[in-house]
Amino acid sequence: MNAFARRIGWSVAVVWAVVSIAFAVNTLLPGEPARMVAGPQARPADVARIASQLGLDRPPLVQYALFWKRLVHVGPRVVDSTGDPRHANCAPVVPLGSWAVHLDFGKSFQMRQPVADLVLARLPRTFALALAGMFVQLLLGVATGTAAALVRGSWVDRLLVGTSLLGISAPTFLIALLLQYVLAYELRWLPLDGFGTSAGEHARCMILPALTLGIYGAAYYTRLTRDEMSVLLRSGWVRTARAKGLSPWRVATLHALRNALVPIVTAIGLDLGALMGGAVVTETVFRWPGLGELSVKAMLNRDGPVILACVVVTSVAIVASNLVVDLTYPLLDPRITARRGPGTR
Amino acid sequence: MVDPRARARLASDHAALVGAGVVGALVVFVLVGPLLTRHGPLESDFVRGVSPTGMPVGPSAEFPLGTDRMFRDVLARLACAGRLSLFIAVAATSIATAVGTAVGIVSGWYEGARVRMPWPAILGAAVSIVALALGHPAAGAIALVAAVVAVFGKRFAGPRVDLDAMLMRAVDVMLAFPFILLVMAIGAAIDRTSTGTILVTLGITGWLGIARVLRAKTIQVRSLEYVEASRALGQSTGGVMLNHVLPNIAGPLIVTATVQVAQMIVADSVLSYLGLGISPPTPTWGRMLFEGQDYYITAPWMVAAPAAAILLAVWGFNMLGEGLRDALDPNEA
Amino acid sequence: MPWIPTRHDVRAALGLGIAFATTTGCSERLAAPIPAAHEEADAPRRGGTLRLASLADVRTLDPAGSLDALAAEAIHLIFAGLVDYDGRADVVPDLADHWDVDDEGRTYRFTLRRGVLMHDGQELTAEDVKRSVERSLHPSTPNPNASYFVGISGYDAYAAGKTEHLAGVEIDGPYVVSFHLNGADATFLPLLAMPTLRPTCRNATDRYVDTWLPCGAGPFKLEPAGWQRGTRLRLVRHDRYFRPGLPYLDAVEWTYDMQSLAQRFRFEDGELDMIHDMTQADLTRFLADDRWKPYGAAESDTSIFGESMNTRMPPFDNVDIRRAVAAAINRDHYSVLKAANMTPLSQVIPSAVPGYDPTFEGQRYDYAVALEHMRAAGFAFDPSTGKGGWPRPVEYLLYDQGVVLYTAQILQQELAKIGIRLELKVVSWPAFLAMRTDPNRAGMALGSWSMDYPDPSTFFEPLFGSASLAGESTYSSAFYSNPHLDELLARAHRQNDPALRRRLYREANAIVCADAPWAFTFGYHWFDIRQPYVRGFVAHPVWGRDVSHVWIDRAAPGVQP
Repeated sequence: MNAFARRIGWSVAVVWAVVSIAFAVNTLLPGEPARMVAGPQARPADVARIASQLGLDRPPLVQYALFWKRLVHVGPRVVDSTGDPRHANCAPVVPLGSWAVHLDFGKSFQMRQPVADLVLARLPRTFALALAGMFVQLLLGVATGTAAALVRGSWVDRLLVGTSLLGISAPTFLIALLLQYVLAYELRWLPLDGFGTSAGEHARCMILPALTLGIYGAAYYTRLTRDEMSVLLRSGWVRTARAKGLSPWRVATLHALRNALVPIVTAIGLDLGALMGGAVVTETVFRWPGLGELSVKAMLNRDGPVILACVVVTSVAIVASNLVVDLTYPLLDPRITARRGPGTR
Repeated sequence: MVDPRARARLASDHAALVGAGVVGALVVFVLVGPLLTRHGPLESDFVRGVSPTGMPVGPSAEFPLGTDRMFRDVLARLACAGRLSLFIAVAATSIATAVGTAVGIVSGWYEGARVRMPWPAILGAAVSIVALALGHPAAGAIALVAAVVAVFGKRFAGPRVDLDAMLMRAVDVMLAFPFILLVMAIGAAIDRTSTGTILVTLGITGWLGIARVLRAKTIQVRSLEYVEASRALGQSTGGVMLNHVLPNIAGPLIVTATVQVAQMIVADSVLSYLGLGISPPTPTWGRMLFEGQDYYITAPWMVAAPAAAILLAVWGFNMLGEGLRDALDPNEA
Repeated sequence: MPWIPTRHDVRAALGLGIAFATTTGCSERLAAPIPAAHEEADAPRRGGTLRLASLADVRTLDPAGSLDALAAEAIHLIFAGLVDYDGRADVVPDLADHWDVDDEGRTYRFTLRRGVLMHDGQELTAEDVKRSVERSLHPSTPNPNASYFVGISGYDAYAAGKTEHLAGVEIDGPYVVSFHLNGADATFLPLLAMPTLRPTCRNATDRYVDTWLPCGAGPFKLEPAGWQRGTRLRLVRHDRYFRPGLPYLDAVEWTYDMQSLAQRFRFEDGELDMIHDMTQADLTRFLADDRWKPYGAAESDTSIFGESMNTRMPPFDNVDIRRAVAAAINRDHYSVLKAANMTPLSQVIPSAVPGYDPTFEGQRYDYAVALEHMRAAGFAFDPSTGKGGWPRPVEYLLYDQGVVLYTAQILQQELAKIGIRLELKVVSWPAFLAMRTDPNRAGMALGSWSMDYPDPSTFFEPLFGSASLAGESTYSSAFYSNPHLDELLARAHRQNDPALRRRLYREANAIVCADAPWAFTFGYHWFDIRQPYVRGFVAHPVWGRDVSHVWIDRAAPGVQP
């Protein structure tokens, strides 16, 4: 329990470090946010006025302190734009009776809306796409890798690995464009892009972006699974299981796969975290309104509040997924024991 | 270190030989090709390279692979681009793999334990971080190397630190940091988009995944019975790592490395998409893919040529890696 | 058993990659245009929804909050102004019935039309006009163009927050409002026609708030659920628009953030009615197809592009080298990159701006003359040996989007032929905007400027006038200063006689082209392609896709006309 609490503490420290570095980088990069709001041809007096309206004329350290101060606090349960101006940009996330815990990322410079609303609206969409993409990746990768390991050395094996190589050799935007052209334009099986209005439409619109992400990332899992599985399939104790009369499929899935899980799960943790950061290119090509699209637009517009909000959300997601992965190691492979160590140097 | 039987296996492995052959052929193509083509990679031909409707011309006698968006010879650009693409891919993967392996093994091995860290190493690491942040990569690299060397010195005293936790938290911070912001920061700090900038970017981001995967594998491996046995018999930590850990993690290591080579070649395309690739007009295969994306329906040769080159390179490295992996597999009879 | 790859396997793997990429392109024919249902009838028909799309997103629809061209497409439909621009970008009355100019051009008195109803049903009065102007120019409003109106008397005090009201705007009657200026100003009427000061409904109050639903007196109105940010904007007909019979359309819809290819796919299907965001590849094919040619129309150039040379940094402190650069660039090589959108440019102002003279050629491509200029500068270059020219590489600053990446590479090739070596420095758009203001930064930079409002002063003064050099944010990346030119521009700014004004700007044009702080390369315009059933569309020099007079003549879906 002690170690767990320490680990949580470290995770919070990591999030704090990432957000602080992002804040510093955002402040130091060339380009003024007020100029990005006012446009390239606005006169200096107007740019200066907009800068002071956005609070950008305060020293960076003051802006930094204000950011943390208002990030999480307790406030009224119901918030709307006509109420208390101190809570105008807040999103109540955890209700506590007639109060609630508020999350406040400020107001977007470009879109002039509370950032918390923007982020919380897009977060589930990116999460759904990340899960879908992950699912496709694993399905494609593990299935083809297992199959390839079972028939290792034959032409089926080469075909499967070759096809997975196709996926990794092309950048995401190319895969996205090709899938869109073939499946949406030529064959008309799926929608071109967008998000849709009903749950059914959401699901249909998610297929192409999930496929894009899946095809791109599957190659890694294919090779990893194939490698781990073929090692284990040839090793001693799996041969014993086979000798006991278990079918090859059962052997593969029950015994060998479980042992191959450790590096695979590590990769899953990494990938899920990265996908939560938002698959920028895929979201842009398919007009999927998620965090990736939001954050890249914000970075190119120097929209500080949005950038920081996205950094907070994605760093929490990545740290959390790595934490969960680390905790599952002992469950996955019973041979991994807590360190009874050989001592120190 | 490498088992002589492994070397023999490698030499007779057809897959590895074919892979090496393909990679070799590519290297020859990119070194010699630009000297043999009729047109230069950077010259636009507004007379013969433009079709009557104003589109780039397709594969023809004059331009064997057609012209690109700016009416330059695709074949010449392909050969010229290959130099940079292959170099960046191999160099960046080497850096990422080396650093990632070292960090991953060390971190996995010492997971859960506290390690004595000599003071000079801590000082060196701190100096290196400050130097990098202030934009002096050379000084930072020197300090880092000094810190690593100091680690091996047995004379220095130092506190006991949870090395694994520190390294993994640093990895967490770097993984959680948004890639685009990082690339913008590097570009702004170093102030010129050159091969060096790309290498730094890819090197910094590339080793994180390898480190985590290898750390997991190392944790798994150190619990194996024969590893514990050889430690109990008195083999040194370094010896155990070399003789037992390394061959066991060779599988995921080579898989990751060969996949990374592919990703590094393609990474310049993603960087160009974000506006941060090599400065034009220098071509890389990734940049050619990026420049051709608007034309993939109407002028597919602009995309097909670099895509085929990349696929060939990826396939070659893959075969090579497969041969290596088979050669190093301790379970092979 | 180890697998030995055969030639068959090698070919198969390669074939997978190449075949997939190439076969998609082989046989592809554009869809046919969807014809109008009653092609011979010329009378406009009421009804239908016009569907448009765009690559970008609009940030705000509040006339006091924005200036970008995409938002203007919608804002000018929601808000009508006292005056508007006609098809030649001249100022004509709109909400105002007529106006009088008094006091040597310092007072403009507008008499409003009676019975103009705004979207909320209230009648427009002079009170609304003054309130809207004050709302727009108030110091708490994030208005990026407030400084344009510095000529209105009392502006400085009002913008500093010292006065409660703007003294220069006076209500002389329920339907009469006067604007008092500090001095004669020929740019006042074009400025007034911009969306910034257009009247807003009473519920806008006199202070800007982010959450106000835009409401004005224009032909289309915005309903409460009509705007989903980043996705869709829908405007519906204002039934009591003051011009009877207009608008013909029931509604106009924009879908935002849609990629060019997706737009083209939808356009071919008839899900979009007009398109202007096509890639060069698609545009070429549409223009080469005889079925589609009659339905494409170019708008006028509203922006200029050029190569801006830092007149304070060698080598471009030498006017001969600048002239050499201006003569060395073959503008046709640039415009072949995107011929439908780019027009070769040889002067300061583009074709949409009144006063543009198509016969004037300020700068011209002439390779021999370019070499001659280099010799006059003392850096003669011999093309056959490659010796001479400027010894050091020159840094060229540009941003990373669009066609300028490619024009820069062509510029490199052209300047190499006169002995100047360019090193391209590509940065992000915000970094570019910040860096181009630094005179010590780069020898050359991409120059680009859009029309703020249709008047030559919006090009000359910010780019080549010394006044814009003061202050931290200068966009005059040539850092050019010419007192004679400044005096000309000041006189032209005050000159209300159109003929005299044109002559002054012609002289200014000649001076700038000869002095060559910029090498002007091309003007950029949109190219619209519409389905045949979209009738009555005429491109507007300021509003671009102006759909206020468009009607739809489409057969019912499923019926073959």
